[in-house]
Amino acid sequence: MRYLGRTLLRAILLLAGVSILCFLFTEMAPGKFFDELRLNPQVSPETIANLRSRYGLDQPLAVRYGRWVRSAAHADFGYSLAYNAPVAPLLWGRARNTLLLTTTAMLLTWLISLPLGVWLAARRGRMLDQAFSIASSFLVSIPEVVIAVALLAIVVRWRLLPLSAGPLNTEGVSPWTHVQDLATRMVLPVTILVFVESAIIVRHVRASVLEVLETPFVQAARSFGIGQARVLFRHVLPAAASPAISLFGFSLAGLVSGSLLTEVVCGWPGLGPLILEATLSRDFYLVIGGIMLSALFMVGGNLIADVMLLAADPRIRTGALDAH
Amino acid sequence: MKVITRLTLLVCLLAGVCLAVGPAPEKPNPGEELFRAAQVSGHYGGQLTIGGRAEPKTFNPVIATDAVSREMIGRLMADLIEINRASQQTEPALAKSWKTSADGRVFTLQLRKGIRFSDGHRFDADDVLFSFAVYMDENVDSPQRDLLIIDGKPLAVTKIDQYTVRFTLPRPYAAAERLFDGLAMLPRHLLEKPYREGKFIQSWSLNTSANEVAGLGPFRLKQYVPGERVVLERNPYYWKVDSHNDRLPYLDELTFLFVGTEDAQVMRFEAGATNMISRLSSENYNLLNRERNRTGAQLSDLGPSLEYNFVVFNQNDLSSKKLDAIVRKQKWFRDLKFRQAVSAAIERDAIVRLVYGTRGTALWGNVGPGNKLWVNSAIAHPQASTATARELLRSAGFSWNPSGQLFDSSGARVEFSIITSSSNTQRMKMATLLQDDLSHLGMQVHVVPLEFRALVDRVFQSFDYDAAIMGLGGGDADPNPEMNVWTTQGTSHLWHLNETQPETAWEGEIDRLMQQQMVTIDYNKRKQLYDRVQHLISENLPFIFLATPNVLAAADSRVGNFHPAILDPYTLWNVDELYIRTPTESAGVR
Amino acid sequence: MRTKTAILIAALGALHLALLCAGFIAPYDPVAQNREVPYAPPTRLHLHDASGWHLRPFVFRWTLADDGYLEDKSHSFPVHLWTTGSSYKFLGLFETTRHLFSVDSPATVALFGTDGFGRDEFSRVLYGGQISVAAGIAATLIALLAGALFGVIAGYYGNWTDQSLMAGTELFLSLPWLYFLLGVRAFLPLHVSPVRTFFLLTCVIGLIGWARPARLVRGIVLSSRTRNYVLAARSFGASDLHVIREHILPEVLGVLMTQATVLVPRYIAAEVTLSFFGLGVNEPVASWGNMLSTLQQYSVLVSYAWLLAPAGALVITSVIYALLADVVQSRLEFQQPGN
Repeated sequence: MRYLGRTLLRAILLLAGVSILCFLFTEMAPGKFFDELRLNPQVSPETIANLRSRYGLDQPLAVRYGRWVRSAAHADFGYSLAYNAPVAPLLWGRARNTLLLTTTAMLLTWLISLPLGVWLAARRGRMLDQAFSIASSFLVSIPEVVIAVALLAIVVRWRLLPLSAGPLNTEGVSPWTHVQDLATRMVLPVTILVFVESAIIVRHVRASVLEVLETPFVQAARSFGIGQARVLFRHVLPAAASPAISLFGFSLAGLVSGSLLTEVVCGWPGLGPLILEATLSRDFYLVIGGIMLSALFMVGGNLIADVMLLAADPRIRTGALDAH
Repeated sequence: MKVITRLTLLVCLLAGVCLAVGPAPEKPNPGEELFRAAQVSGHYGGQLTIGGRAEPKTFNPVIATDAVSREMIGRLMADLIEINRASQQTEPALAKSWKTSADGRVFTLQLRKGIRFSDGHRFDADDVLFSFAVYMDENVDSPQRDLLIIDGKPLAVTKIDQYTVRFTLPRPYAAAERLFDGLAMLPRHLLEKPYREGKFIQSWSLNTSANEVAGLGPFRLKQYVPGERVVLERNPYYWKVDSHNDRLPYLDELTFLFVGTEDAQVMRFEAGATNMISRLSSENYNLLNRERNRTGAQLSDLGPSLEYNFVVFNQNDLSSKKLDAIVRKQKWFRDLKFRQAVSAAIERDAIVRLVYGTRGTALWGNVGPGNKLWVNSAIAHPQASTATARELLRSAGFSWNPSGQLFDSSGARVEFSIITSSSNTQRMKMATLLQDDLSHLGMQVHVVPLEFRALVDRVFQSFDYDAAIMGLGGGDADPNPEMNVWTTQGTSHLWHLNETQPETAWEGEIDRLMQQQMVTIDYNKRKQLYDRVQHLISENLPFIFLATPNVLAAADSRVGNFHPAILDPYTLWNVDELYIRTPTESAGVR
Repeated sequence: MRTKTAILIAALGALHLALLCAGFIAPYDPVAQNREVPYAPPTRLHLHDASGWHLRPFVFRWTLADDGYLEDKSHSFPVHLWTTGSSYKFLGLFETTRHLFSVDSPATVALFGTDGFGRDEFSRVLYGGQISVAAGIAATLIALLAGALFGVIAGYYGNWTDQSLMAGTELFLSLPWLYFLLGVRAFLPLHVSPVRTFFLLTCVIGLIGWARPARLVRGIVLSSRTRNYVLAARSFGASDLHVIREHILPEVLGVLMTQATVLVPRYIAAEVTLSFFGLGVNEPVASWGNMLSTLQQYSVLVSYAWLLAPAGALVITSVIYALLADVVQSRLEFQQPGN
């Protein structure tokens, strides 16, 4: 209980710290929102100056921060300069779409990676293991954006999937067609995310399982005649769990922020394209809103991972942590 | 019997549902004074999808600043006078005719009678007055406001009667009627109330429901799906008819799909998810061209665009800033012979070949061959010559050491950096080519890519740069929009911003000439003045011009009346005339 | 196992030797533009012509026709070994003009084709590898060292140290690094030499990258410090440092090695994103990162497949490292306490 309380306090402090640092960082970056207008020779500097002062962009940093905190208290989280609307509603709708994508990808990734990692560890050194090593090196080395463009190019050239599909939100369309539509559109981005994530997770799982496989208690279990699968999944996996749990925490933490490039390339209407454009155009309240959201998920993800770590290894919980 | 009737009803219903994709156009009635597009024919039906780089940010034409919003809003709205993108001349739009006073200051416009907004409400002079009041309101801060302020004084708008409006300019302004293109007429019945309540800026944001947005354009808003698409449907009351007196537009629906980068757009076009692409890079164009026989796509290379890419050297007054390293280099940048040498060393045909895949044109002045009305063909187009460049440098006091490195008269090594936008691959390539060209002169040039807004900050604000590769132009063919670039006090006078008085004779002459052409009504006299301006620019090289890309557009085989133009919005300017061909028609076209 | 290890080490050695001797093996200067042959496909080496088989391979010149490049079969150019060409500094020590192989001009021998400026991809991949591999390894070392340090401290001491360090990692991972990088770029002088860019790159990537390894390490340390042998050692009065060094660190090594095999290629590829913001290695210097960024364009990916060469080189490097790390890890396991 005390642990939870401490973590909650830490979470709140963290979010506050993130928001302050964000303001500082965005201040550091050159270029402000209305700069694009300067390239248009027909707009006068006075208009640009008026626009800036109307949105309070010429106020000192502390004043702007104060306004933002007040706006956060009203659940608005600032005002998007580009959309002329409060930030929060913009984010929620898109966040839903992103979460749809990332939770599906995460489930699939872990469903595939855990068993695969364990299985490959058991077959270490054999053909399949080597093949996987090469494949995962491939996926890890090539930047995600190149993988995304390459896969999209393959889909287009070989007409594997229909790229035109109905919009994500439609009323008046039967639920079954809607789900089918959605599924078709999700295949490509989910595939990209699964490929990229599972390459890393499988490696870690495999490595930590390998470490445990050589320990005495596993040898003992084997010598007692316990079957391979049971040994792997009931004895080895819990002991090898630690890095996997941390990685799981990372997966949770990255639920809203990890799919940005994939969404942009595949045209998925999630947070990715919104935040990317906001970042490049310096629509900074929108950017900060997005960052706070992903910070929230980060804290949540790590919290869950910590809880799981405690659950997996009871010794951490007990007074073994005394003397310090 | 009953079963058959029921079945027939069902069939009719289904057919009705399938056909009723967009609202049927209203039959033209005699009370309406419609615009007859005499050359246009086609047939009704179908849906066109076009990809966009991002989503629009608002439906409000007065406050929209980004290009994507403006492109979409332009399909919902209409102006009093429009510039026909193909001929580049003005033509009557909502104003069926106009008279200009002898001194060119007073425009009296006759509005079309009997036409209605997309929600059926009548349009008249009150809407025009309301629209201009909003555009010129200081509290709204519309970017278009500055267009209507000439010499610091606003345009005066008066209502003569229900269908006649008079505009009085503070002084004569050449091609003033071109100002009206892009000033959308707003529906007073929907927007006056929020305007009076001071809520105009928040009106017509993206979450506005479709029935609250109305305009005089060929389409009206049907649906907005956040992050994904905007669907527009036919405006049943649109004021144009085709050669058979059928009301335009032909299309039932127009969809803007937000697909991101140009590459993603090309891929979707190939996959058949979109029907048109507005501007292509030459690599993508060549890609689509190779498959043209198989796909039947219509590809258009319209020749050189109106943009110009250039190198600008920092000649700003840096006395109040701590940029000593740059001040030392400005000694070279301000020397005309130095700039001439740089210009002589650049291989422009290599730029056209390697950057634009031969689909581009070299430039030596700010007006290229694409602007047929205003280009000065007498300007010299010298070929690249390292020998000439070296001679120029020698005569300016530069010298070379035994390893071929260039030094100035005081013994300092000639070394500088060129900044450019990292997201613009064409300009990055030009920078690399330039770096190589100038290395043959012994100059050490560094290419420094910067994120776009960081670049703008340095060029317009901090002046912390040596040289930059940028692009301007492309808005309109007329010289007036270029005033701010070439006049001393202009806001885009990049090489020497914040200059108050012309520091050289030629800058002073350009000031006078540009001011004069702005008030000269006769085209030939204006051309003479502007020719002289172009000559001065190409002689004195405040910018060293590089090249311009061709305007490249594509549509699939089913799009009829596809006539892209070199002015924005390249493919959608005649969206009211576009139609979807039947399979037999498009097969015939192949 | 032995032969496999030997093969892997030999492969790694050959790779690094090739990169070190880039100047000698590459026939051309990586920045030399040849504007007559942009985007030319790899030069074909022929051994057989009308007059029969030859021992010495020869090439034809590429000429640009309407729809691509054609070999100009009128004149054949044999490939020469131990030739003279553009000058370079061998291993950075002495200037020389000796190259392993080349052909007489005007023909070119571009084994991996040319890029948009007619520059030889093969030469650029070799020179580029020097910068990229070194930067990737250096950045990974920084990230892992910092990560291990903080992870161990957090995991070992627990309570508030743990909480504050983990809060630190969360802070690090949440921040808008883009703006920070842009700010850094704004403060730097406009032109930063490629060497300095390289150092900057590595520091930036390493500094940002410590958070994830730290978390992973901390997780492991949390469980391993409660192991019996650790408790035993502590009850004998062993100092913290001793316990950490002898008992905790070996546990952590496994995770670090796996992370290393993931991070090195990741960081090399991360240069793609950094160059978007002007923090990469600038033109005309070659690096695998800035060569890979041209592959983000669909038309390039589809039309000029040979430009995937740096991606291939990166994959091969990372495969060799991954397989080698696996071998090293299995060796380490045999030495674990409790085995």
